[in-house]
Amino acid sequence: MSASSPWSLDRSTRALLWKWGLVLLVPVLVYTFLWQGDSVVNAAFLGLANPNNSTYAVATPGNMVQALIFSALFYLLVTALSGYLLAVDSGRHSFAPVWVDVVLYAVVPILLIALTNDLVIGIALSAVAWGAYFLVRAIARRRFNRFPPAVAPADPPAPIANAELRRRAIFGSVSFGVVLALIWIVVDIVFYVSGVFPSLLLLTILLPVRTVLLVVGSYFMGHFAARVAQNFTVEAYARRNKRREAKGLKALRPQRAQLTPNDNPLRSSGARVIFMAALLAFVLLYPALDSFLFSYGTGGRLAGYGDAGYYVILALGLNIVVGFAGLLDLGYVAFFAIGAYAWAIVGSSQFGQLFNIFLSNSVASGLFWPMLLGAALLAAFFGVVLGLPTLRLRGDYLAIVTLGFGEIVPIVALNLRQITNGANGLVGVHSPGFFGLAWNVTTPVPYYYLILALIGFTIFAAIRLRDSRLGRAWVAIREDEIAAASSGINLRNTKLLAFGAGAFFSGFAGAYHGAKLGVISPDVFSYGDSIIFLAMVVIGGLGSIPGVIVGALAVYSLYVLILGQLDTMAAVPHTFMYNFHTTIIHIIPGFTFGNIRNLTFGVLLILIMIFRPEGLIPSARRKRELHENLDEQEPDVLGSLDVTFADPAFEAEVRVE
Amino acid sequence: MSYYLQFVIVGLASGSIYALIALGYTMVYGIIELINFAHGDIFMIGMMVAITFLDLLHVTDKNPPTGFALVGILAAAFLVAMLACAIVGVVTERIAYRPLRNANRLAPLISAIGVSLILEDLGKLWKGLNYISFPQIFPNVFYSIGGVQIAAVDLFAIVVAVVLMIGLQWFITYTRMGRAMRAVAQDREAAALMGVNVNQVISITFFVGAGLAGAASIIYGLKFGSTIYYIGFQLGLIAFTAAVLGGIGNLVGAMLGGLIIGLVQSFSVLIPDSLAPHSHGFGLPLGGAAWMLAIIFAILILILVFRPSGLLGQNVPDKV
Amino acid sequence: MSTSEIKSPVSEAASVETPLLELRDVTKRFGGLAAVQDVSLRIMPGEIISIIGPNGAGKTTVFNLITGIYRVTTGEILLGGQTLAGLSPDRIVRRGITRTFQNIRLFNNMTVLENVLVGYHTRLRATVLGALFRPPHVRREEEEAREKALKLLGFFGPELVARQDEYVLNLSYAEKRRVEIARALAAQPKLLLLDEPTAGMNEAETLDAVKYVRRLRDELGVTILLIEHKLAVTMGISDRIAVLDYGKKIAEDLPEVIRRDERVIAAYLGRPTSVDEEQVSAE
Repeated sequence: MSASSPWSLDRSTRALLWKWGLVLLVPVLVYTFLWQGDSVVNAAFLGLANPNNSTYAVATPGNMVQALIFSALFYLLVTALSGYLLAVDSGRHSFAPVWVDVVLYAVVPILLIALTNDLVIGIALSAVAWGAYFLVRAIARRRFNRFPPAVAPADPPAPIANAELRRRAIFGSVSFGVVLALIWIVVDIVFYVSGVFPSLLLLTILLPVRTVLLVVGSYFMGHFAARVAQNFTVEAYARRNKRREAKGLKALRPQRAQLTPNDNPLRSSGARVIFMAALLAFVLLYPALDSFLFSYGTGGRLAGYGDAGYYVILALGLNIVVGFAGLLDLGYVAFFAIGAYAWAIVGSSQFGQLFNIFLSNSVASGLFWPMLLGAALLAAFFGVVLGLPTLRLRGDYLAIVTLGFGEIVPIVALNLRQITNGANGLVGVHSPGFFGLAWNVTTPVPYYYLILALIGFTIFAAIRLRDSRLGRAWVAIREDEIAAASSGINLRNTKLLAFGAGAFFSGFAGAYHGAKLGVISPDVFSYGDSIIFLAMVVIGGLGSIPGVIVGALAVYSLYVLILGQLDTMAAVPHTFMYNFHTTIIHIIPGFTFGNIRNLTFGVLLILIMIFRPEGLIPSARRKRELHENLDEQEPDVLGSLDVTFADPAFEAEVRVE
Repeated sequence: MSYYLQFVIVGLASGSIYALIALGYTMVYGIIELINFAHGDIFMIGMMVAITFLDLLHVTDKNPPTGFALVGILAAAFLVAMLACAIVGVVTERIAYRPLRNANRLAPLISAIGVSLILEDLGKLWKGLNYISFPQIFPNVFYSIGGVQIAAVDLFAIVVAVVLMIGLQWFITYTRMGRAMRAVAQDREAAALMGVNVNQVISITFFVGAGLAGAASIIYGLKFGSTIYYIGFQLGLIAFTAAVLGGIGNLVGAMLGGLIIGLVQSFSVLIPDSLAPHSHGFGLPLGGAAWMLAIIFAILILILVFRPSGLLGQNVPDKV
Repeated sequence: MSTSEIKSPVSEAASVETPLLELRDVTKRFGGLAAVQDVSLRIMPGEIISIIGPNGAGKTTVFNLITGIYRVTTGEILLGGQTLAGLSPDRIVRRGITRTFQNIRLFNNMTVLENVLVGYHTRLRATVLGALFRPPHVRREEEEAREKALKLLGFFGPELVARQDEYVLNLSYAEKRRVEIARALAAQPKLLLLDEPTAGMNEAETLDAVKYVRRLRDELGVTILLIEHKLAVTMGISDRIAVLDYGKKIAEDLPEVIRRDERVIAAYLGRPTSVDEEQVSAE
């Protein structure tokens, strides 16, 4: 092991190389050749070279540069990952879970995205697949005692010296890079020979550049991977902690699962760094990539992502109320409506109608930015106001009351005609703009970046809130209100802050939606929406930020895209869907896919509550909490009042011991 | 004075319907501390079943049955609807609520929402998206009492509801099963230790509660003549308010609450339309009728804030 | 352990006259039943006072009245001369009274450290905006809170500090009790109410608990009011003992006197426990 040449590695390391090499190669090859990974660059070139040929995607130099950057980044990051995994793996864990992870979380989504030709639907279906997998596994565990969860070895793995880490990392990266380059060359030649590859010129430019980039780049990526791996060793933490203590900061205490070396490297902190980098690059460069990854429909897709995006914000906001603080809010759509109306009133002619101040278009558009905050604050204000009557109520009653609010606000909107223009709604709501600079409404790209920015801010805020004094107070009141109050937490203010904070983000979503849609009327919102938002949070994982994001995307696609699409597909004669539909109609006359949307959700909700109450991506706390309760059978007996101190009814109902 | 008597009778008739539904809510809550979100939708299913049943018998508005045939058909309709609802109630309890009996408070609630969604879509699939008419087979007779016209169907509603409520009270108070239900409602573990089959008791509670909703559905159909797949939600909210008003967990309270809510609803029509010229701005925009749901809901909030135990609420001390 | 960090600022001279906590004829009725009747009590700073009595005598009710969970029907409760009437529990914490519960009420899905940090809630001043932007003073505040929390955990020895990131679910009963006390101490109380702190503990754990309860008063300067069933414990550590029976105080005096009091013996047959009184007094 101490030989200087990277090739004289011992058996176990070579075994690891096979393990990770194969494991990474499969999804990368699927991405590259089964899907459109290679065409990101190819199509870009071809499109640029043949601007008049309509078979090629439209490519501007800007798009092409972005595509090139992304492709380069992607493949280099994969080689980095390969090096990292090889360096960090302790070699103790068995193969099978690694394969399951990779297939489940990488291969299946890529295949589904390729199959459905849509990113969000593909991810949503992947979430369904994950759900099915968890369900089957849970049943197998509960009923048949098969597939128990893997138990980590009790003692931590032996540390690996930095030099050894670097050796392994470089070896891993370079091997992977070289193999990938070779495979690619072979495939390209095969394609060219069989006539699929259209241009020899392209081949002669692309092939060498790519090969050199992969081989040389992988060497440097190996170094990068080594640095990442070294950053998470026990010694590295020790050094950091010394510096922190010198500055008076607390010591960091990483969990074993995050350190180098690692039993399950795919889930370690270092791997996460690489994944996040790739994800960030993908999300930021996406509008340019879309036309190359999917052959058509870029505009529609991007617009759809904008819509899915505000669902994500709503899910994150509701997560604060329900997930962090444990307050079951079934009327969340009310705040969304308030936020939307706030911008709709200011940003349309209604403003002039109400206040007799007539704004020019560019001024009105410019007001969007301050109104983004304004709508959020207004929604937050109503969050507090509507939260006030619920303060003394326990879970079920809280739910009903908030449900009622969700019903009432649209009625109010309908009836207060002077302000909201009643059933006709408000039209001509402006899109955002900078004073003078118009918002390009012909493409959905600006809205895409806007929603990304809003989502980014919301995630940031949610994380900060969760890890703060307030976040702790929320968990405390969710766990045990009496103990929380006895520790000095003011129940009323904490709950109101939860309502306000949750509603605040729905204001963002509302203003965004108003601007994008251009029209706001009472039938844009309905009670059913609140249930959908709740489903997003529950299915994704109560209290878990990545969970509710995935939950939002999954629910949105299932609800809006998939089931909606199925009906359109069924209208086309002589297709499978059409025949399927006509047969069912004989038995159930009222059948459309739209009609079974809620039914599907109902079934999903029940199944999740019974088999996986912690949701798709649970927060660490939740998993423990929900499964613990099932085992310990703690009866939680209180009346309709949860905690109202010094109230005769409370005292009569509850004896605190 | 006699003018208002009309509203009273109409209010009591609607109130009877709410009372019967409210009883289902309060019984289930009393026994497993769960607000059965799906209860209103069970009511809707009952109506659908009844409509289909009457359809099969070729009973329509055009040639309504009379005399003994009418009585027979009404009785059969009641039986069918109540049985159907009762079965749906027991099945949903078994599938969606029982596995979650020991889970945290949120889980059965969400599950109940799921059941509600399923039932509503079943209604959609079965009878479509639009209003469906319920055969108006009850004779359109009016009695003249004190100079006021009172509909026979309203009296029928009140009588049937009263009979059922008395029957329920008797059942709860004097039968063995009724005692078992009261025991489980007070202290589930102690009841189990005394040899009560808790699962069976809970199933029977759902059976009876849902069955009463089935009765309510027939009365509603005879009186109002139409239904739609989402009717369960609104009626459910109103009936739930009634249950809370009377004191959740308290049977007499549910009955009382239902009647009161019925009266409130009936009289709210009298609130003038503030936008109409002759009202001088008094009242509510578009009149009381448009705000009815909001008024009921406001009542719910007021009760929960100021007197959560309701009018007749019981305060059983629990150890926490 | 530096007492100046955690000790409450109670001036010894002035407190000779004013009791730290005073109950004046406190009565609590639930409907028709009087759970607590005309109970009066005075606790001076720096004392360890025990309340004993048979089950159902109203001891926990007294605690709940002091901490604001129940409202007094008649009578007054004063802290440092100021009335606590109408204050919610969290305000009473701010005034300087915290408690533990008979059936340990920890936040099960938080770690040991997080539980204690919740106890610091009243001593921190970060707001929503502070949470969002984390300005330097908020960060400093959090760091200091962590340090103090660890010091509090360290009061009981190094074990809890080592387990600071474990979820409290996994702790033993005695360890949970200590975390709960640490959480109560985090708010820097003047008066600490301990509700049966040795319930469910074996001999060794009980002796250990007695040791640290005394240290709480001696090292941290916290006045302690405790409910305790094990007579040997109460006899051993209390400065004075109050006895409740059927909601009324039937005796209050020094331990030696209480032990021989016939009314007490009649009301509350003390079972001999395996904990030896001499052992306790000697600790």
